[in-house]
Amino acid sequence: MNVSIIILATIFFPIFFGAAILSVPEFRSRNHLLVAEGAGLVITAVLAGCTLGSAETELFLFRLGDKLDIYFHPDSLGRIFAAVVTIVWVFAGFYSFEYMKHEREEKRYFGFYLMAFGVVLALSFAGNIVTYYLFYELMTLFSVPLVLHSRTKEAVMGGLKYLFYSLCGAYMVLLGIYFLNKYADTLNFTAGGALNRELAAGNEKTLLIIVFFMILGFGVKAGMFPMHAWLPTAHPVAPAPASAILSGLIVKAGVLGIVRTVYFLFGESFIRGTWVQTAWLTLTLITIFMGSMLAYREKVMKKRLAYSTVSQVSYILFGLALLEPSAMTGALLHMVFHAFIKVTLFLSAGAIIYRTGRTNVDDMAGSGKEMPVTIWCYTFASLALIGIPPASGFISKWHLAVGALQSGTGIFTWLGPAVLLISALLTAGYLLPVTVKGFLPGDDFDCGNLQKKEPNLWMVVPLIIFAAMSILLGVFPNPLTEYIQTIVSAVL
Amino acid sequence: MVSYLVYGLVFWPMAGAFLSCVLGRRHKKYRDYFVGGAAVLEFGLASALLYQRITGGMIGGIIGQPGICGMGLSFTVDGFRAVYVCIAAFMWMGASLFSIEYFAHYRNRNRYYLFWLVTLGATEAVFLSADLLTTFVFFEIMSFASYVWVAQDERQESLRAAATYLAVAVIGGLVMLMGLFLLYHQAGTLEIDKLREACRGKDVYASAFCMLFGFGAKAGIFPLHIWLPKAHPVAPAPASALLSGILTKTGIFGVLVISCKILLHDALWGSLILALGVLTMVIGAVLALFSIDFKRTLACSSVSQIGFILVGIGMQGLLGEENATAVRGSFLHMVNHSLFKLVLFMIAGVIYMNLHRLDLNEIRGFGRKKPLLAFLYLMGALGIGGVPLWSGYISKTLLHESVVEYSRKLSEGIITPVFFSAGGMKVVEWAFLISGGLTVAYMTKLFAAVFVEKNNDAALQEKYDAQKNYMSPLSAGVLLLGGLLFPVMGMLPGITMNRLADLGQGFMGLAKAGERVSYFSPGNLKGGLISIAIGVVLYLLAVRGWMMKRGGNSVYIDRWPKVLDLEEYLYRPVLLVMLPKVCCGVCGALDMLVDAVVVLLRKTVYRDHTKMSELKEGNWFTYILGSAMNNICGIMNCIFWKKHPNKINYKHKLALDYWGLRETIYMITRSLSYGLILFSIGLCATLIYLLVGAVK
Repeated sequence: MNVSIIILATIFFPIFFGAAILSVPEFRSRNHLLVAEGAGLVITAVLAGCTLGSAETELFLFRLGDKLDIYFHPDSLGRIFAAVVTIVWVFAGFYSFEYMKHEREEKRYFGFYLMAFGVVLALSFAGNIVTYYLFYELMTLFSVPLVLHSRTKEAVMGGLKYLFYSLCGAYMVLLGIYFLNKYADTLNFTAGGALNRELAAGNEKTLLIIVFFMILGFGVKAGMFPMHAWLPTAHPVAPAPASAILSGLIVKAGVLGIVRTVYFLFGESFIRGTWVQTAWLTLTLITIFMGSMLAYREKVMKKRLAYSTVSQVSYILFGLALLEPSAMTGALLHMVFHAFIKVTLFLSAGAIIYRTGRTNVDDMAGSGKEMPVTIWCYTFASLALIGIPPASGFISKWHLAVGALQSGTGIFTWLGPAVLLISALLTAGYLLPVTVKGFLPGDDFDCGNLQKKEPNLWMVVPLIIFAAMSILLGVFPNPLTEYIQTIVSAVL
Repeated sequence: MVSYLVYGLVFWPMAGAFLSCVLGRRHKKYRDYFVGGAAVLEFGLASALLYQRITGGMIGGIIGQPGICGMGLSFTVDGFRAVYVCIAAFMWMGASLFSIEYFAHYRNRNRYYLFWLVTLGATEAVFLSADLLTTFVFFEIMSFASYVWVAQDERQESLRAAATYLAVAVIGGLVMLMGLFLLYHQAGTLEIDKLREACRGKDVYASAFCMLFGFGAKAGIFPLHIWLPKAHPVAPAPASALLSGILTKTGIFGVLVISCKILLHDALWGSLILALGVLTMVIGAVLALFSIDFKRTLACSSVSQIGFILVGIGMQGLLGEENATAVRGSFLHMVNHSLFKLVLFMIAGVIYMNLHRLDLNEIRGFGRKKPLLAFLYLMGALGIGGVPLWSGYISKTLLHESVVEYSRKLSEGIITPVFFSAGGMKVVEWAFLISGGLTVAYMTKLFAAVFVEKNNDAALQEKYDAQKNYMSPLSAGVLLLGGLLFPVMGMLPGITMNRLADLGQGFMGLAKAGERVSYFSPGNLKGGLISIAIGVVLYLLAVRGWMMKRGGNSVYIDRWPKVLDLEEYLYRPVLLVMLPKVCCGVCGALDMLVDAVVVLLRKTVYRDHTKMSELKEGNWFTYILGSAMNNICGIMNCIFWKKHPNKINYKHKLALDYWGLRETIYMITRSLSYGLILFSIGLCATLIYLLVGAVK
């Protein structure tokens, strides 16, 4: 019972605290605001730590109807997600302290930032699809103000586009929940699936369409083709830490939703070998290639990173779609690694924008000489994303490719790894030029005007932490891998 | 003990790299000596390891760190590895000591030394690796770290060459990774010594080919040799020496793993390697002969010599069990080539650090009256040219012998031909001899240009002649140490080269030593002499006759047709322009798919309302009726009333009428009479009601 209160506190403390920041006029003063925000983040992190540290636990809040419970149950998968969310959210929050200095209306930003934190934690602790859906929608609503923060025309349009796409996806999911309510034994997440095969008998065709809808619906958030277009619009207009959160974590909520749907509600055996699996695999491979190709073409740094997210998150989806243990391990590893890597990339892009105002890749020549630590962090994260050993991306891609080869999915067994490698090549093509031009601008570059522009510690320390995570998780991946393998063995 | 040595070899340079970086911020001078010292220490460690191996104190076994990078890193030591670790350390030592003088006036040395030592550790690790995952991890670190060497001086052409180097490294690495995926899938292990058993009876050609692509890109196998001629002329000389001498050998190491650990004695695979080897050997040598840049010649020569080594590796696959000559020849040629290129590139470094030029026409005559430099160059040139009594002759003889042996067995019918028939082998043999001849020819071309001929500019020649302090005693010492090895090894092959070969051959699956080849028998001497004769003829006819412009002042001219540059006219246009354009077009269309649907919907069924918020005059009825009448009127104006068009604005007119009507109604409803009328209407209604009721 004691433990359940901790779950409650973990979820609702940041939400109410964020609401307080929004509403209490006292926080107009920057100092008060930052102290409160810092305290809020740290306390939430401690609470989350307590929840994660406690043994198997659950919390039943109330019941909406016959089956519709609001019910939390942090299982292994949710715990991993919550742990990543906590680390990233707190340090990206500290980064914002400096970054948001130049922006107006910090109060609104920090308020919603904290509220969204609570909502995302709630979503990772959710024990059934109804709870998940509820907080999934709330997450969308609370993150829209972060996207349109600057309130320029592009920002507002970007925010609305994000809202539009997310809602479309959410309705597809909702449709699925109606059907699940009828055909599943329970709406609680059950390893291996909760679909009642007797009830479902005869309706498989309809249900397959419904699974596909749910995958597409969560896929909107995860940036899966064809509904990925909100990412490259919403990311460049949002403040850098918000883009980092969006790309690193919120996008993953879609992935988590898909894992929950496929592996915990319908069960992998239901879609194995069906047209849904084939279509899903095809869509992910298209997305992987398309995302990295467009990132390669893109010149605006943050847009480039957004396309990169489109591509990389589909690595995860590809691993999930193979329905194979090793591939799923790789996918979940990539979910963790990509969170750290992409946050590093966005925060370093943000540091460059903050200190120099340069948004275009071609203008960034020589930035390595001005802000070496930032660009080094960027470089390490890039190498990790490309999959250069011993950095982390290599480990996840290894599992993905080995899984693909073992999966017995026909053409995808070899096409998958081939596309992964082509995409890795393109990843090198769109990430490394920044490093190369940054450190080696050429001998005709005027080094005389260079000044030290390294941002202060509030920005640099989170960057270093994230970059170190991107590398170290690759050098010592085994504890994490083993933990993830226990999740995988439960559902496959 | 051994495991400490191995970890020391791999991780000491990496730690030293960061120490040098820290030190370099305070004291540049100490940093330079520290790097030299680190390399000397590394050589000490490597020698200790080799000594341990020779005395047989330890051996075998895997030294590993489980858990790193998922599957763990593992190292092992055998004869081949011990020798190559030692050679790598020796080369790094030589190049590091030489660097102290060479880099004295360079900028960004801290960066350079950082990557210099990181690459050293990674290279040693590649040679020591016991499983292919470890190989791959350090191979990638090595490729990326050495990128900085090529880009060091940041000139445009350096950056371009470095980009090529990086692209080849990245593409090669990824294709190799694909090979590893496939191999792991089929064999279930990547441990090098277990691969042969694990792959027995399985079709591993696809994975072997992918790995060959990756390793071959580093080794400089045709058609992936493009980075060598571009990167070497722009990289600093000590870096070129290592790129060419040792980094290419890591690629060869990989090819050996495929050819000797996975597909041992596989004739089909041997044929492929042999074919690639012949192409690489001939094309490299021809490119070298055409080149008029000192370092570019050496770079192309590296391509060619790698081809010689590949011929040996191919032959050992074709010859099967009895492949002693091929195995020993290819191993010894690897060792020889590493050392030759160390000395020759350092000589190029001496020239460059004095003149900052490498074009043959500009450096012409620099070596006159510099006997030490000429002597050192000759050692390297005679060695690489395969002249008897120098070490290159020994390895080339072995290689040649293996080709001859195979042809003989083919013609005697002992071996059934696979791909290469007896006639084909004749071609291979002649290609081998001609390439040897080309080697002699291009080394002679360099010698004549730098050490014999006078510069066209007499004043410049005088300046060259007067120059005495052209290198420091330390550099000279290092060069002498390298240069004197070749005649010693060449004249005493029995106690030097044979022993090296004994150490190395185990790696390639050869247990027994085989019968000793008598290197200086007439038959073997004949092969060497034919090559030299071809070389002399080629030099006189091609170089002096065609590649030099005669006249008052003879000039070296570049006769190589520009369009044959694979990189500029094939790889870059296809990979950087055509493919991205096509793919971007397709992907761009996919990207816009949903957005386009949204736009389409908004233009059609979900169109925004066009109505204004408030009408200025009139009401909706008058607005719509008036618009309709206006339209009708407009049509009539066009058709019937062309001469007297009706110009009334009905919308306005109706609105005015409407206002008028409303005014009137307003006035009426406020009047007393209106009230009376309503009252009377009410009365009438009551009356009618009463009447109706009465009737009922």
